[in-house]
Amino acid sequence: MDERLERYAELVVRVGANVQPGQEVFLFPAVEHRELARALTRQAYRAGASYVNVIYRDGHTRRAMIELGADAALTYAPEWQKVLATSTAGNALIATTGEPEPDLLADLDGERVGRAVQQELVQIQMQLLGEGAVNWCGIGAPSEGWAQQVFGEPDVERLWETVAFCMRLDEPDPVAAWQEHLARLTGRTEQMNELAADGLRYRAPGTDLTVGLNPGVHWASGAGDTASGIRYVANMPTEEVFTSPDARRTEGTVRATQPFPLFGQVVRGLELTFEQGRAVRVEAETGADLVRSHFATIENADRLGEVALVTGESRVGQTGLLFYDVLYDENSTCHIAYGTGLPFLLDAEPDDAFNIANMHVDFMVGGPELEVDAVLADGTEVPLIRNEEWQLG
Amino acid sequence: MSVGTDDRLERYAELAVRVGANVQPGQQVFVHPMVEHVELGRALVRQAYEAGAEYVHVYYRDDHVRHAMIGLGPDSALTYSPAWAKELMLSEAGNASIGTTGRPEPELLADLDGERVGRAIQLELADIAQQQHRDNSVNWTGIGAPNEGWAEQVFGEPDVEKLWEKVAFCMRLDEPDPVEAWRGHMARLDARAAALTALGPDALHYRGPGTDLTVGLLPSAHWGSARFRTSGGIDYVANMPTEEIFTTPDSRRAEGTIRSSLPLVLNGQIVRGLELTFEDGRIVGVEAETGAELVRSQQATIENADRLGELALVTNESRVGQSETLFFDTLFDENATCHIAYGMGLPYAFDGVPDEGSNVCKIHVDFMVGGPELEVDAVLADGSEVPLIRNETWQLPA
Repeated sequence: MDERLERYAELVVRVGANVQPGQEVFLFPAVEHRELARALTRQAYRAGASYVNVIYRDGHTRRAMIELGADAALTYAPEWQKVLATSTAGNALIATTGEPEPDLLADLDGERVGRAVQQELVQIQMQLLGEGAVNWCGIGAPSEGWAQQVFGEPDVERLWETVAFCMRLDEPDPVAAWQEHLARLTGRTEQMNELAADGLRYRAPGTDLTVGLNPGVHWASGAGDTASGIRYVANMPTEEVFTSPDARRTEGTVRATQPFPLFGQVVRGLELTFEQGRAVRVEAETGADLVRSHFATIENADRLGEVALVTGESRVGQTGLLFYDVLYDENSTCHIAYGTGLPFLLDAEPDDAFNIANMHVDFMVGGPELEVDAVLADGTEVPLIRNEEWQLG
Repeated sequence: MSVGTDDRLERYAELAVRVGANVQPGQQVFVHPMVEHVELGRALVRQAYEAGAEYVHVYYRDDHVRHAMIGLGPDSALTYSPAWAKELMLSEAGNASIGTTGRPEPELLADLDGERVGRAIQLELADIAQQQHRDNSVNWTGIGAPNEGWAEQVFGEPDVEKLWEKVAFCMRLDEPDPVEAWRGHMARLDARAAALTALGPDALHYRGPGTDLTVGLLPSAHWGSARFRTSGGIDYVANMPTEEIFTTPDSRRAEGTIRSSLPLVLNGQIVRGLELTFEDGRIVGVEAETGAELVRSQQATIENADRLGELALVTNESRVGQSETLFFDTLFDENATCHIAYGMGLPYAFDGVPDEGSNVCKIHVDFMVGGPELEVDAVLADGSEVPLIRNETWQLPA
């Protein structure tokens, strides 16, 4: 048995999802991730899981559905999948990323690809997320296809080493290293919550964007707690501090600094212009139709749901690689998401300032040239990020 | 991209969708491949949509996940049926379903406690499956999915191409018009089944090395092929390949001993040299070179697993038999030669409600008993015996 694979799976089960004895565990790997899925299953049982549900997904069957299926199939949420989503309440969930073929759907009609969202399932997931009902974790799963995308050759071993570095598996005691890392991020989170900024201002080539912040929503990072008090780390790796903004107050233009895979297509050179909170213009070198389809067919997809700050200390960023995987790329640099806000950040019932949508799409805006300022209530601006470095000390 | 370029794979999937499950426009389709069967799984999905499926559900199975569950999970996990899995299965009613066989690692579970392997059955799911068989509410089929591991098991080397050729031959894909070839083949099997039903035997008598078994038959059960019709009127072929005619015996009347003639891949272990002894319909002795513990566990923990549920006759006209290959896969091996099943009686042998002599059980395990030395006779009501099979050749006119 591959020892690194087992140690990786164990870290995810113990620190990430933090599976508790007697819990059921739900795994959602791609079919290409089966080796990791099996290791996660073993480690989950070792951690005392009462049952491990493994539901493989397959980009190719999704492709067939969009290409050959009827219109009604695009948004259909089967009853069993709703039961499945509901069953995760009170239990642990682990999802894997790392698309073996990030542009598998590139030749399909972007409008159909964009429309293909199982909205009823997303609603259930968002509800559970808001209730803090699930201790969950998303992780990367190295595969030949993913390695090919990152390195131009299917060097899975190199990708494994990179992933192990980002996951701190090279540390003598990865669990202790993670605790220390999470504490650092928590320090930043507290700084942001104390600063209580009214907005953020982003400036960079092609970018001049102001985003209002929502006083009823806090900043968070790294670890979270379920309603029943289970501490979990929702993303591994994680390098961000983030919040959900006031979705009504976004003005200006933002340019993505990295390509990103989205629904089996790759979006390159994305540029969004906002007026009164809504995206009014979408430009991109590739994938524009897909993003426009999201905005046209999914309610409130055209408003922002997240702003996240990442600095040069990020291990993901230190690799200098473009991963073509949102979990990794979003933790290499500052990012923003259109679509739903993150309901677990709410301090009170959501008002109209908090965006609710049946999707959430992160895209990267950071880089050496990006300047991020906090705009305080009195209009003064406090530098947060310059040259990918944290400015609050 | 490999989509649509592998012609044999697509033609195979199309045959399974059109002739096997006979997917109807507007139906939902449920595909259950193993995770190693992704290429075929994807082709089945494409062909199902091409056939007009409203939606195609794909649920991939993984024996390694099962291994972890049996090896590391608590006792309660062994028989647990998750709510979503029940809902998934219930959703198949009125729809089409396609399962794939061909384990990449037939002995993956060999290192586990046979008692636990035998006990590991999702009880509530088994109940739902039984009900759906009784209702005949699903047009379903099972087919083989060639892969490296399976080829390794069959040939001693991972020659997938060679396995594909064997499978294509058994599936009549070498015929100019496979659909027409299947129509003629099923008509031949149906005629043979009708002739045996007309003979109306009271029992079958099996004789061979290590075998002397008499099994009672039920007057209300007919002989049939694997071509079934759902309660909604959809004709389908439940196994591809299929070479058998079968019936559901009187589970109260089995006497004697039967020796299995081929190894049997069962729940991730291999049962070799199985020998079962029956008294008053029940299995009272289980012997085997390997896997005996697994079979005994099934008999001990699953109600009525110790009674027979199927008798099936296969002759040397079988394409599977002609391929002279031991497939280590029940779908193929049971269609190479005569077989018997312990466990659930097949409701498909009855025109209406199954006879009370038809066995009710949560599992159904086929094992092979045929070979050149096996003699099968029909025992008529007056006690006279009519030869059915000698030297793997059919003895009745049809």
